Amino acid sequence: MVVVKKGKARFLGLGGEETTVRVTRRQSEATVQEAVTLAKEILEKLLSLMKVSAAVHEKETSSPEGETRIALDITGDDLGILIGRRGQTLFSLQHLVYLIVSHQLQARVPIIIDVEGYRERRQEALTMLAVRIAESVAASGQSVDLEPMPPNERRVIHLALQDHSTVTTESVGEGEARKVTIKKQ
Amino acid sequence: MKELIEYIAKAIVNNPDKVMVTEERNDERVFLKLQVDEEDMGRVIGKQGRVAQSMRTLLRVLAAKQGIRVDLDIV
Repeated sequence: MVVVKKGKARFLGLGGEETTVRVTRRQSEATVQEAVTLAKEILEKLLSLMKVSAAVHEKETSSPEGETRIALDITGDDLGILIGRRGQTLFSLQHLVYLIVSHQLQARVPIIIDVEGYRERRQEALTMLAVRIAESVAASGQSVDLEPMPPNERRVIHLALQDHSTVTTESVGEGEARKVTIKKQ
Repeated sequence: MKELIEYIAKAIVNNPDKVMVTEERNDERVFLKLQVDEEDMGRVIGKQGRVAQSMRTLLRVLAAKQGIRVDLDIV
């Protein structure tokens, strides 16, 4: 519980102010584990309905900010079909599992789904791309637009360059076409 | 195909009993119609149609394996 605005005591019952507090419910470990177990069952069910034979494992992963999170990794043969163009199929799968879990538990628990470590590899590749483009922008002074990316990928680019001394990043465009521009400060 | 949509829809609505999916097919196309309670329409469509779009994306994986195309209508 955080006190946002402290109230004042009343003087002779006059002129008091209320105290405003912000209450956030902590997600307990139990809820997270329950959600992961449920998410795994749902994901396996969806994959079997999609006639994709694959295994689902829990694995620890780190967010772009370096926090540890639990992800469900799908492994098997020929799973490119589950990633799709620009990761769209993977995103859809993750979104639906998230909705079903949230609906059943009546709580919003973030669920991360990966296919054969695709997200981690993509995150590394994007970070390297960001650094490389930043070097050329810094050298030439010419801004560069990256290809359109989903929100989580744009975030990787922003985070990779947030402490860069000579370039800044900005997302431009709408919806599917939204992309990151890297420009000299 | 029908089973996939039925499973997803029933799992995200408040009135699963009112979920109905019909499937018609010809040689190259499958037509799916999803019906839900009026109150649940928003849940199966989603903000900016994201849920409907996600269901179509997963259907496409299944359809691609069978070499056919699939349409999903929400009515």
